[in-house]
Amino acid sequence: MDKKQVPISFTINGKKMTRQVNPSLLLIHLIRDELKLKGTKPGCMEGECGACTVIVDGRAVNSCLYLAVNIDGKQVNTIEGLSTVERPLHPVQHKILEHGAVQCGFCTPGFVLSIKAIGDECVEQGIVPSRKEIAKELEGHLCRCTGYVKILDAAEDYLAHPILQNSSDHG
Amino acid sequence: MNFNTESPATREELLQCLRRHQSADFRLAAGGTDLLIELKKSGPEDLTLINLGRLEDEEFTGITIHPAEIRIGALVTAARIHKDPYIHEHFPVLHQAARSLASAQIREVATIGGNVCQASPSGDLSCALAALNATCEIIDMDGKIRHETLSGFFRGPGKTSLLKSEVLKGISIPVNQDETLMSGFIKIGKRLAMECSIVSIGYHFQMNATGTVIQAGIAIGAVAPTVVFCTRAAAFVTGKKVNDLTEEEQLQVAGLIRQAASPIDDLRASAWYRSEVLFNSARSIFEKA
Amino acid sequence: MRLRIIWLIQSFKTALIMDKKLKLIGKSTPKLDGSERVSGRAVYGHDIELPNMLHGMILRSRYPSARIKSIDCSEALELDGVECIITANDVDVNRISYKRDHPVLKGETVNCQRDELAAVAATSRETARKALRLIKVDYEVMEGIFDPFEALKEDARQINLYGKGAESFGNKNIAESFTYSHGNLEEQKKNSRVIVSRRYRLPRVTHCCLATSNITADYSVLDGRLTLYASTQVPFLYQRDMAHALKMDPSRIRIIQPTIGGGFGSKLDMYPFEPICALLSMKTGKPVQLLYDREEEFIASPTRQTMVIDLTTGADAEGKFTFREVRIIMDNGAYTSWGATTPFVMMQTYSSLYQVPACHFRADAIYTNNPFAGSFRGYGNPQATFSVERNIDLMAEELGIGKDEIRLINANYPGEITGQGLHFKTCGAKPALMKVLETSDYERKNREKQNGRYRRGVGLASMLHVGGGAKIYRSDGCGTRLKLDHYGYLTIVTGSSEIGQGSETVLAMIASEELGIPLQQIRVINTDTDIKPWDVGVHASRTSFVAGNSLLGAIRLLKDKLNLKAARLMECETGDFLYEAGSIRADQKEIKIDKVVREMHFGSPNELCVAEYFYEPPSSFQDKQYMGDVSGNYAFASQVAEVEVDTYTGKVKVLNVYVSQDVGRVLNPVGLQGQIEGGLAIGIGYALTEEMIYEKGVLQNPSFHEYKLLTPVDMPDIHFYPIETLDEAGPYGSKGAGEAPLIPSAAAIANAVSDALGVEFQSLPLTPENVLRAWSEKRQHEPANSRKV
Repeated sequence: MDKKQVPISFTINGKKMTRQVNPSLLLIHLIRDELKLKGTKPGCMEGECGACTVIVDGRAVNSCLYLAVNIDGKQVNTIEGLSTVERPLHPVQHKILEHGAVQCGFCTPGFVLSIKAIGDECVEQGIVPSRKEIAKELEGHLCRCTGYVKILDAAEDYLAHPILQNSSDHG
Repeated sequence: MNFNTESPATREELLQCLRRHQSADFRLAAGGTDLLIELKKSGPEDLTLINLGRLEDEEFTGITIHPAEIRIGALVTAARIHKDPYIHEHFPVLHQAARSLASAQIREVATIGGNVCQASPSGDLSCALAALNATCEIIDMDGKIRHETLSGFFRGPGKTSLLKSEVLKGISIPVNQDETLMSGFIKIGKRLAMECSIVSIGYHFQMNATGTVIQAGIAIGAVAPTVVFCTRAAAFVTGKKVNDLTEEEQLQVAGLIRQAASPIDDLRASAWYRSEVLFNSARSIFEKA
Repeated sequence: MRLRIIWLIQSFKTALIMDKKLKLIGKSTPKLDGSERVSGRAVYGHDIELPNMLHGMILRSRYPSARIKSIDCSEALELDGVECIITANDVDVNRISYKRDHPVLKGETVNCQRDELAAVAATSRETARKALRLIKVDYEVMEGIFDPFEALKEDARQINLYGKGAESFGNKNIAESFTYSHGNLEEQKKNSRVIVSRRYRLPRVTHCCLATSNITADYSVLDGRLTLYASTQVPFLYQRDMAHALKMDPSRIRIIQPTIGGGFGSKLDMYPFEPICALLSMKTGKPVQLLYDREEEFIASPTRQTMVIDLTTGADAEGKFTFREVRIIMDNGAYTSWGATTPFVMMQTYSSLYQVPACHFRADAIYTNNPFAGSFRGYGNPQATFSVERNIDLMAEELGIGKDEIRLINANYPGEITGQGLHFKTCGAKPALMKVLETSDYERKNREKQNGRYRRGVGLASMLHVGGGAKIYRSDGCGTRLKLDHYGYLTIVTGSSEIGQGSETVLAMIASEELGIPLQQIRVINTDTDIKPWDVGVHASRTSFVAGNSLLGAIRLLKDKLNLKAARLMECETGDFLYEAGSIRADQKEIKIDKVVREMHFGSPNELCVAEYFYEPPSSFQDKQYMGDVSGNYAFASQVAEVEVDTYTGKVKVLNVYVSQDVGRVLNPVGLQGQIEGGLAIGIGYALTEEMIYEKGVLQNPSFHEYKLLTPVDMPDIHFYPIETLDEAGPYGSKGAGEAPLIPSAAAIANAVSDALGVEFQSLPLTPENVLRAWSEKRQHEPANSRKV
C-alpha cells in the first residue's frame, strides 16, 4: 500500500525546493530517481562504499542510509552542484584530474564531495590535515581501480592550500 | 522498504507518538544507519518508523557538563563525540571508540543512543561507555524518567531493558575523580578501517598523584552475548600502581579479562582467535606503560 | 659478460626507436575522459533511462543442487505492474559459454546458487521484487558436490548434464584439461640437489567492480533490431555470443557500451542475465533494464579460480633450476566460463618464469556445485606465481643460498627462447630484480631479524606475463578508422574499449604525437559496434599494444595522403615532413594541416582525409602441444614487499612495496602509475583480506561489510621503477602493463610474512587468524625456554 506522502522543503545545490515524498524514500532515490541527478552513484546501498556520498549541511553522509524526510530544512549538495557555467570544475576536481586519481570513475563523485567537506571543515578550524588523517577521513570510500594513492595525493594537495585555492565556496 | 514515518519535532510530540503507537508495530530510528540496512533486508509491510532525526530537544541532542557527570543526549552523533574537546581530554576511551566507528560519513549520522539501543555485542560506543560506568536515562511515554546502569541495560544480543513505552533519552558518565588517566580503546578487525570489531577492549583507569588506581573500568566487546564489564579485572587493578605491574600481574589481569569472555565461532573469527587476541590485547595495555 | 653484450644490442635498438624526439609520449597526461567522470556527467549503465522502460529482475535458485519439478508464475503475473515473466519453457535459446554447457534459464536442474529460474519485467524495481517473491518453485533437493576431488570420484554423479568430460577427458566431471611438457623431467630430477614438493590452496575472490553488473536492452518490434547498452570488455565477441544465444543474426544486434564502472576481467564473458534481459525486451517490445544489487553482484558475478596446486620443483647444487612438475585441480563450478582457460597463462609461468630446463604441467577444471569461476585480471597467473615463488624460497633455504641470488642466477634474459617457445626479444627480468633488491635494501632487511611483539620481514617475487596481446582467438587484431576534418580536428574510431584503464588517452596521445594536433582537437569514438571496426576486446594487457599499433598504421596511411597533398601545395618534394603544432613543415616551408585537408576536400581531385588500418600482432597460434611464441612481446616484473607482523593479533601490515616492471616504454607515466597502484591494491587484498566464504555452495559473506576490500588506510607506500627495454613490436617500444602489478604481490607478501615469523604459508589469504594460528603452532613446537617473546 502506498503510504501517506510527507511534505519537505530543502535546498539542493543552492536551489530551494518543496516536494511530497514517500515516507520511506531514501535520499539517494530522491536524488537519482526523482530529481534525476545521476552523478550520485549507487555502489552498495549499505553505507560501505561511499559512492553515494552527498553533503548535507556541510557534512558528507551516505545518501543510501539517509531518509529523504530528514533533509527537511537542510542544505544538500551533490556532485552536480560543484559545476557552474562559469566554473565547470571545482578545485577538488581539478586536483583529482591533475593527479590521475580517476580511472573508472564510479567512486569519484563520492570522494570529491568528501574531500570538499573535509576542506571546508579544515578551513573553519584553521588546520591542515596530515596524509594519515586524510586517509582516515576517507576510510568510508572504496575504490577498486586506483589503489587510493593518487586520490590521497590529490586530496593532500587540495587540502594543503590554506584557503583551498581561493575558490572553495560553501554554496 | 515501505513504511510510514512519524517525525516528532518536540519531546511532547514524541511522547504522544509513543502513546499513539503502543498497540501497533513501530521502530524507533535515530541515525538509522543500522536500522535502514535491516529494514531493506526484511521490512514488515505495516511498520511505522518513529523518526527521531527531526527532534529538536537539547536534552536529546546536546552534551552538557555537570559537577558530578557529563550528560550526552541520545541523539548526539559519533562524529560530535569524536570531535568534542572535553571528551577527548577526559574520556579518551570514548573519543577513540567514536573515531573507530565505521566511517566518517556514518559517524556524522550514527548516534550514541542508536549504538547503545542496538545492543550489539560488538558496539564500539557501548563498550567504551561500559568501561566508563555510564548510566542510561530513560523516559517513558508519560514523561517519567528512570535510570539504569549500562550493564543492566544490556540483556542479550540486540536485547535491552527498554520497554515499548520507553525511549532512551541520554547517557551519563561520572566525571573523573582524578585526572591522571590511562584510558583507551583497542579494536581488532581484519583491516584497519570500516570494521565491525572481532575483539574490542575499552579501559579507563583514574589514578592519584602516586600513580595508584583509584577507579578502574574495563569492558570488552564482541566476545560474549553483550558487552561485558570486567568486574574482577577492574577490582584487581584498583589500588595498584598500574604502570608498575609485574609481568606476572599483567598476565593475571589479562587472564581475568579473558575469563570474562565467552566467545563463539562466527564468520569473522573463531572463538579460539577471539580468546587469544583478547588476552594478548589486554596484556598490551599494561606493557606499553 | 653475455648480459652486457645483449644490453649493448638493446641500446642500439633503443637508439633507432629513440631516433625521434618525442613531445608528448612519456609525459604525464590526465585522462581525456576524466572531467566527464569527475563531474558526475559520465553516463554509466545505472544512469540510463529510456522512455517506457521496464525493470527486470531474476529469480535464482534457493538451493545449489536440485531438480526443478515445477515453476508456478501465475500469482506473480497477476500483480499490478508485472508485464512479463519468463522461464526456460517460454524461450527458444541456445546454451551459452565457451563450452556451450550453460543454459540461459534453468528448467531441469539447478547446479549452483546463482542459477536463473525465472525473470520478471515490471514497471518498477519494487514491483519486480515483489513478483519474484510470488513465484513458486517446487524443488527436489539433491546433495551437492562442492569438493572437486569428490567430483572426480568414480561414483560421483555428472554435475553438468551438457559437459563433454567423459568423451574428451575420460571423466564426466572434467570440464577442461590442459597438459604441457618440455625437457627431460627424469634426467633433471637426477641433476637436482634439492627437490621441494608442496600443495598450495588458493581462495575464491571476486572483482568487486564499484558499479554492479548492468544491462539495458531495447528491442524494436518494427525492424527486429536489438540494441544493448552493455558493460562488456569484448563487444564483438559479446555480439556473437548474444546472437548465438538468441538465435539471431549478429549484425541485427548493436552493442553500445556506456561508461564502464570497472572491469578487471569480469566482463570478458557474456552471462545469463544479459540474454535474459534481451529476452524480456523482445517479449514486451519495451526497453528493459536489469541492474544487480551488491548482494546479487557477490552471489552471481564471476570469481577468480580457486585451485589446489601440487608443485614439485628442483635445483642443482649451484642453485640452477632443474625442473618443475605441477598438477592443478581447479574448481570450475557448475558451468564453464573463459576462466577455465587460465591454465593457458599459468603454463607459461611454470614453463618460462626463470630458466626452466624441464617442465611437466597438467591442469584440470572440475565441475562442482559451486559458482562458476570467470576471468580476472592476472588470469591464473597470481595463483601460479604464488606457488612458484614460494617453492623458490624453500629451495633457497634448503640450499643455503640467498633468495635474491637464486633468482638472479635463474633470471630470464634477452634473446631467450624458452622451453615453450616464448621468444624474449627484449627482457627486463634481471634489471627489474636488481632494481627492487637495491631500492628496498633487501639483503640487509632479509638478514635482520626482530624479537618482540612486532616482527618485520621482506619477501621477493617476480612474474612473467604476455605484453603484446595473446593469440587465443582467430584474430588478436584491432581496426582503426581516422577522419581528419577540414578544421584540423581528428576523430579516431577504434575497435578497442575504454574501461577506465586509460587507453583512450594513450591513443589520443599517440595521434597527437604523430600528427602534431593538440589533444583538445582529438576525439576517440569507441563505444558502438555499429560504427567501430573489429577488435577482440580488453584483456591480456593488450589494448595499448594492439590498438596503439593499429592506430600507428592508420596514421601512416593518413600521412601518406597528407604528405602528397602538402608537397604539392608547398611546391616541394614529398618526404618525411615534420608534423608540429597544427602544421606540416618541410625545410623552409610550412602549411597548416587544416588547410591541407580543405584543399583535399574541396580542391581537385576531391578526396576525403580518412584512413583505415587493421593490425594483427605478429604472435602465432600455439600448436596442440601449446608450443609457440604466443604474444607480441613479454612483460617482466619483480616486487619486494616489506611487512610488519603483530604477533599478538596476527595482523600483517604491508609497509612498503617496491615494484620494478619491464613496460617496454612508459607512454603515460601517470596512467601507468595508476595501473601499478591499482593492481597492487588487488594483489594485497588477495594476499591478506579477500575471501569468498562458502558453505555447501552458498556464499556466506555477500557484502562489502564482510568481504574485505582494502580501504584508503590499508595501503602501503609504493615505490615504482619502470624498466624501459624498448621492444620494437610495441608502440614506441611499449609492452602491456595492466595485469602485471597484481601477479607477484601475494607471493612477495607471503614470502615476507614467512621471513618475519619463520613460518610457512601454503594458502591465502593471510588473515590475522590464519597468521596467528601458524605462529601459535610454531611456538608450541619450540622449546619452552626460547618461547618468551
